[in-house]
Amino acid sequence: MNCDELRGSYELYALGLLDEPERSEAADHLSRHCPVCTPEYQGARSLNALMSTLVSDAAPSKGLKRRILASVGVEERRGWLTWLPGIAAVAATVAAVVIGLQLREQSRERELVSAELRQMRAAVALMREPETTQVTFGKGPQGRVLVNSKRGVLLLASNLPPVGPGKTYEFWIIPKGGSPLPSGLFQSDVNGNAMHLVPGPLDVGATGAVAVSVEPDGGSPAPTTTPIIVAPLTE
Amino acid sequence: MFLTVLFAALASDDRELIERLQRRDQQAMADLYDRYGRLTYALIFRIVRDGGIAEDLTQETFLRIWTRIPVFDREKGALGAWVMTVARNRAIDYVRSVQGRMRDRSVELDSSENPALFTTIEANILNTDRARRLKQAFGSLNENQRIVIELAYFEGLSQADMAERMKQPLGTVKTWCRTALIKLREELGEALTV
Repeated sequence: MNCDELRGSYELYALGLLDEPERSEAADHLSRHCPVCTPEYQGARSLNALMSTLVSDAAPSKGLKRRILASVGVEERRGWLTWLPGIAAVAATVAAVVIGLQLREQSRERELVSAELRQMRAAVALMREPETTQVTFGKGPQGRVLVNSKRGVLLLASNLPPVGPGKTYEFWIIPKGGSPLPSGLFQSDVNGNAMHLVPGPLDVGATGAVAVSVEPDGGSPAPTTTPIIVAPLTE
Repeated sequence: MFLTVLFAALASDDRELIERLQRRDQQAMADLYDRYGRLTYALIFRIVRDGGIAEDLTQETFLRIWTRIPVFDREKGALGAWVMTVARNRAIDYVRSVQGRMRDRSVELDSSENPALFTTIEANILNTDRARRLKQAFGSLNENQRIVIELAYFEGLSQADMAERMKQPLGTVKTWCRTALIKLREELGEALTV
């Protein structure tokens, strides 16, 4: 196909919606840096971006902004901020991930996603308990620790880069006046986000803090490196 | 009136906002939402038609922007276009998942979000004048042309899927698409050149 025959095709090509044979023809022109089709393709992408302005106005709920800021570890600046909306925002974040995972369960990754889904559901259940308390932490790694005497401890962290081969993050529960207790291993994802659940019950009154350190694969009985997260459970 | 106010806000330079986001300035994330949140939500809502789902996907969009902004080109990148692309992709991927179709096209959606692709779109592509001209141009299309454009942009249907939905020959649908898009480009003219 020549360049003129491909006019009006690059918008759908950029959206991944162009059918054959036009799709292969467009790809071929662009791979050859065709001097006609290359600017045509750039113009098409500009039009695609502009198409979003055709939609009618719709207003989200007032709480959406706070949820979004909470999901990246940012507290919205308010003079009267309390912790309860923070937990609700985080619960909503995890619930959104649950929706995504429920959809992915339909794919080839069924078993792995099912395990993730079970953990996510347990996390949401912990967050929804009325007596769950939370503390926030961090200027490097940031996040929250949610604690419930029946359901356990939940860590939600961001800005936690993947540790690389041969290493793992290890979670510690530190009793008041006691030594850190190994409480599970986890990895962060490529985006630097991590979730780790230690199922309950937990003697909250006897627990002083939680911590995270980098340990060799398989974990350690005691921290071998300086913890990168330490969160006292009383603020 | 909403559009006028919205695009007046969007017309200011995004470069400073990108730089602050890359520095992990916490207030920058709030500013990003103030600048693009409502349009993002409106676009996603148009596609998924559910307020709760639209909010979840809006949240996912902004989280994705926050995560990937470190590799975004501050000088040349069109932030608004990128945000809208990520938003549309989240919504289309959701709709496709629910409808059990075209899962293999998810890879194409992800690749279309590559920040490097947004250095060749004008940073201020989402401005009032272009939006107004596009709306006029869209209104001048005939009914079938408008339908195929909406099926592509707001339902993510391929031309084959459109033909099946509209119960029309594939060749006819392809002609409607091509004619509509050529007309829109001609109406917008130099407004779309970089």
